[in-house]
Amino acid sequence: MIVPLGHIFLLAGIIFSMGLVCLVAHRNLIMTLIGVEVMMNAAAIAFIAAALRWKLMEGQAFVLFILAVSAAEISLGLALVVSVYRRTGSIDPDRYDILKW
Amino acid sequence: MAAILATWLPFISFLLIMVFTRNRRRLSGGIAVAAVTGSLAGAVFLLVQNWDAGKPIHYASRWLIAGDISIPFGFLLDPVSLLMLLLVAAVSFLVQVYSFGYMAGDPGFSRYYAFQSLFAWAMMTLTISSAMLQLYVFWELVGLSSYLLIGFWYERFSATQAGKKAFVMTRLGDVAFFIGLLLVLLHLGNVEILEMNSAEAAVRMNSGLLTLTALLIFGGIVGKSAQFPLMTWLPDAMEGPTPVSALLHSATMVAAGVYLFARLFPFFSHSSDAMTVFLAIGTVSMLLASTMAMASRDIKQVWAYSTISQLGFMIMGLAAGSLFAGTFHLTTHAGFKALLFLCSGVWVHLYETNDVYEISRRGGRRLKTPTVCLVIAAAALSGLPPMSGFFSKEAILSALAGLENPVWLAAGLFGVFLTAYYAFRLIFIILFPRGEVREEPPNHSLEGMGALYWAMGLPLLVLAGATVVLGFLEIPLREFLSGGTAAHPSADHGWLPYISAGLAALGVGITWSEFGRRAAPQIGFVERIPPLKELFTQRWYLDHVYRWFVNIIIDGFFSKACTKNEDRVINDSIDEFCDFTLDSGHLLSFLQSGKLRYNLIVMFAALALVALYFLLP
Amino acid sequence: MTLYAVTFYLLGIAILTATGLAVTRRQPVHAVLYLIVAFLGTAALFFLLGAPLLAAFMVIIYAGAIMIVILFIIMLVQGSPREVGPLSDWGPALLLGVVFLAVAVATIFKDPGSRIVLQGAVAQPRDFGRFLFDRYWLAVEIVSILLLVALVAILHLGKGRDTEETEKGPSPHLSPPGGEGKDEEVSYHKEGH
Repeated sequence: MIVPLGHIFLLAGIIFSMGLVCLVAHRNLIMTLIGVEVMMNAAAIAFIAAALRWKLMEGQAFVLFILAVSAAEISLGLALVVSVYRRTGSIDPDRYDILKW
Repeated sequence: MAAILATWLPFISFLLIMVFTRNRRRLSGGIAVAAVTGSLAGAVFLLVQNWDAGKPIHYASRWLIAGDISIPFGFLLDPVSLLMLLLVAAVSFLVQVYSFGYMAGDPGFSRYYAFQSLFAWAMMTLTISSAMLQLYVFWELVGLSSYLLIGFWYERFSATQAGKKAFVMTRLGDVAFFIGLLLVLLHLGNVEILEMNSAEAAVRMNSGLLTLTALLIFGGIVGKSAQFPLMTWLPDAMEGPTPVSALLHSATMVAAGVYLFARLFPFFSHSSDAMTVFLAIGTVSMLLASTMAMASRDIKQVWAYSTISQLGFMIMGLAAGSLFAGTFHLTTHAGFKALLFLCSGVWVHLYETNDVYEISRRGGRRLKTPTVCLVIAAAALSGLPPMSGFFSKEAILSALAGLENPVWLAAGLFGVFLTAYYAFRLIFIILFPRGEVREEPPNHSLEGMGALYWAMGLPLLVLAGATVVLGFLEIPLREFLSGGTAAHPSADHGWLPYISAGLAALGVGITWSEFGRRAAPQIGFVERIPPLKELFTQRWYLDHVYRWFVNIIIDGFFSKACTKNEDRVINDSIDEFCDFTLDSGHLLSFLQSGKLRYNLIVMFAALALVALYFLLP
Repeated sequence: MTLYAVTFYLLGIAILTATGLAVTRRQPVHAVLYLIVAFLGTAALFFLLGAPLLAAFMVIIYAGAIMIVILFIIMLVQGSPREVGPLSDWGPALLLGVVFLAVAVATIFKDPGSRIVLQGAVAQPRDFGRFLFDRYWLAVEIVSILLLVALVAILHLGKGRDTEETEKGPSPHLSPPGGEGKDEEVSYHKEGH
């Protein structure tokens, strides 16, 4: 009675793509992390929709875990960004090209 | 068996000389002559033993085996091969004895005898080969020894050029020969001479194929026997020592081509089209070479042209259908042509010049043995009775008369006239010198030669005797060669001997009037016509044609094409390949750009591809 | 077209707009702010789809804590504000996005199960909590240990280098922040990528 499942997944998919674009198109590490956040958001939406479709609460439990993991990961990522900034003075990922042959 | 011993003795001599006795000349010469004497004895023995044998003796052992095809290595003794074996052994023996005197003092004495032994071995084994592939191997070996001996005085550039030219031109013919052999192998399953000569061959191969194969194998004969169009190597081959010219390029090696014809006579006679072509080629060679001989001043070159002409004559005889006529003329020709060369060699050795006028002016005619023998041999060459040449030319002319088209006979008779003309032109120039007769002493004094004088003189006498006598052996030889069945030909051309003798006499008479008489100007009628003289001296511009062909077509076209192919196609394509590898590496190096973003892109692209995999059913 | 459906579509549009704007900002601060809006919208969507507890958690944790942390770090990591801003090579990123979206759409609509219309339901927080600690207590414990580990790591990372680095200055391993295109610097990376 609400909407077809496919529409919600479509919404999640579009949000995921936007997060992907944000991830790879910015020259700012922080924007990269924001892109990751957006993608996680999309995943959470998808899980909730699936939980509603099968009326199982596991889906929502998993969204809780996504939340928690996302929090841990984003803070760790930001700590790493700070560390890298202290080391090199820049947060442009294109500048970290020591691995380039 | 005796045959093996007879043919392989010279090979052992060759090895011994090349390896051990290079420095000891007399020993080398002795070894070589001893070996060839052994061969001669063996040949005589074989001939006598198998005179009456009706069937040819065939002995073969397996050599190359590939599946169903087995190529043997062995020998085949039938009348033709026995005769040829004796001929080769005898002439080799005489020439090697003669060379003791001719090559005395030469620094390459041992090498000379080594090569002579090599040639003797190769030629004799070629003669008694039982399979065509074995014959081809020894055919090439004979060509090799010819090259080595022509370029014997290798310090002379012209000699090395001549050797190279000889080898390359004969090789050209051999390519055709080999292709023909392969065709035979393909269709008949083996290349044994007995099989090829049998009637089976005509059944297994259709006539077009037979003609093609015959023509291809004849290509080898054209090369080896210096027929048109591969004939210009033989005059240049006179750069070698005169005994070499006598042995190789008059009596034996160039006769190998005609001998091959005789060997495969039944095979060739299956195809009458091919025989007609052979007849034409023989005729053309004969006439062309005779005209070239008419205008030449070099004594050895005249005899070289004469060899080409006589070989053409032999081929005409064989192609006209008479095995006996060609083989008989081969035998007699070996005798008198070797004699002609050896006699000329005496003067060449003494006066160190090839020019006829020079020889006559320095008093060549005072040496009696060479002069007399020369006259005898020239008479035989012209076909004057009662020399052997008369009988053998007779046989060929009657074979030609048996053909339907009178053109061939007319050409043959014209050839007889020309032969007499050029032979006696030379004789009269030497016999009757004009101008100041400078009685200079010869370069090598005769008296100082001692025993070596007789080393050179005896072979001359022996050959002269053979020339006179051989003609009368016609009937026994005919019986022998037909394998015992005395088949007398239909001799209803009774008028023919008179015509040919008359033509020969006419030739002699004309030369007498131009060269021999006291007041004669010693210029031939041909030489009075400058265009003709030019044509004949330049060998009918054949060499020019070849030079043009090589320059324009081979150098200009093929070489350029191949070079261009190598540069642009092969080299550049490999370069392109390498560049392609480098460029694709550059292309793919963006994966390793060190930029985080691109790695992420690739990662997610991979994810999308995996999703695509699950998407498709 | 029930009220729920209308609400859903409106919320969907809101979330999409906010996310889209967030993604295309040059200044990270603007992006964060738009993202907060997007998360609030997502929380409302969760409410609609029957997960009120999670909606609350979204607001508290995501929009409340995480975005604030990001703001803090943005302030901390100044860099040169304009320089790290520009967006370049949108090309490959857009291509990837389009491809990914196409694959996703195809996958979604190939499955016949995607046409099922959802029925509304709500997971009450009490029931959800009981369920979680009843069946998945181990996962909860592990997540809490994960958070502990992250905490320790962050503390270490944030602290350890501070005293050494600020004296030495930036290490010379990487190319100095002088901008691209300086010809005289002998740098590892080449032009053209």
